[in-house]
Amino acid sequence: MARFLILDEKDNVAVAVEPAKAGESAALSNGKTLKVNQEIPFAHKIATKALKKGDKVIKYGEVIGEATAEISPGDHVHIQNIRSLRA
Amino acid sequence: MSQELSGYRRKDGKFGIRNYVAIISAMDNSNPTARRVASMVRGAQAVCPTFGRASMGPDLNQHLRTVVNTGTNPNVYGAVVISLFRSSADEISQAIAKTGRPVETYAIEEDGGTANVANLGVRGALQLMGDAGRQRREPMPWSELVLGVECGGSDGSSGIVSNPVAGMVADMVVDRGGTVIMSETVEVLGAEHLMAARAKDPATKQKILDAVNFCVTYAKEVGVDLLGANPAPDNIKGGLSTIEEKALGAIKKGSSRPLMEVIGYGCRPTKKGFVFMDAPAPGVENMTALAAGGTQVIIFSTGKGNPSGHPIAPTIKVSGNPFTVELLQDNLDVDLSAVITKGMSLADAAKILEHELIDVCWGKPTKADLLGEFEVAISRLCRTV
Repeated sequence: MARFLILDEKDNVAVAVEPAKAGESAALSNGKTLKVNQEIPFAHKIATKALKKGDKVIKYGEVIGEATAEISPGDHVHIQNIRSLRA
Repeated sequence: MSQELSGYRRKDGKFGIRNYVAIISAMDNSNPTARRVASMVRGAQAVCPTFGRASMGPDLNQHLRTVVNTGTNPNVYGAVVISLFRSSADEISQAIAKTGRPVETYAIEEDGGTANVANLGVRGALQLMGDAGRQRREPMPWSELVLGVECGGSDGSSGIVSNPVAGMVADMVVDRGGTVIMSETVEVLGAEHLMAARAKDPATKQKILDAVNFCVTYAKEVGVDLLGANPAPDNIKGGLSTIEEKALGAIKKGSSRPLMEVIGYGCRPTKKGFVFMDAPAPGVENMTALAAGGTQVIIFSTGKGNPSGHPIAPTIKVSGNPFTVELLQDNLDVDLSAVITKGMSLADAAKILEHELIDVCWGKPTKADLLGEFEVAISRLCRTV
């Protein structure tokens, strides 16, 4: 079981406080669990909700970018599937 | 534990959590003399600024303002001021003395060279240290606390542990009527719209946006594309996907309360609550600005570690990185790695940091204090010629 921290109740991602392997169970800080779909290194993000392309990714209760592909709960969320709205 | 604070009351009504005698050098060429004096008088704190000689225009203003405001930080009981020549020493001494503080002034040229001035400075410091030692602590209201928040050596743990926890303690200080100053303007880039939205009035909102925009424009002039370069490769490796995410993690350390004011480098807030100081991000330069801004104590959130502390504003180092808290334990005060290794809640971590803040305010020395990891660097605005 790899532990993940949810920083705000509005978030749709959680942050790994320990590295997680694909197929493992993720223990979220709100008590729920999730299956980890890809390897997630320490401090990287896991999706806790399903996101469509163009949906906003929320962390710290704020928009940190938008999904560039379909994202399933348990997916690694990073530069391969999220883009900045600034740059 | 007691939630009350205590401090040394100053003639201007402010409170210091320390009762320092500052040995202040006016500029780089008198730094060695000031250090010599401080090394001969245990407990005296040397304040040795970079540069300062033949500064021009805005640089001159910034240097003088920062030196004077450091000498009138509430933690300073009195000062020995040393300069190469009397007029520049007097300029600083008079400004400090106006606040009711005792000041002794020496000039290397007029008072017979550095060895003589070191002796004279020691004599002056001995007197001041004795006088300072007679002053007693009094109850200090939380509304008199000005907390600085800083981050450096950030890594993946900063945005999820040490910064959010520092922010929770900052909220507590603001809610008790105190002031929190956050700075490092360039780190807000990516989240400046959120900072602006918290601004108390349109003028403050525009100031924060202008301050962040200036960073982008200025960097471009020297060939750096801040938006394109962030997050940096090591940020990306560490899990930061966008500049918004990086900035959000950074500003977490500064309290979530309304933004009351945007002030300049080394300037004093005129309002209580959450205040932003527009100043460069590098740690020593930024803490130099915060201490001149009147912060009596600084919480410094670090991931990979950082040794620096300010000589006048005790600097509390906090990290949530399990490797750093072990490897750099000599330069760290608060270990919050249990959030990562044992699932400790952020609320419990905030309690730990709050207790450390109170302890330091009551006199607990920080690692930076004990090891003397002090440096002062006043940011430059233009070149000397």
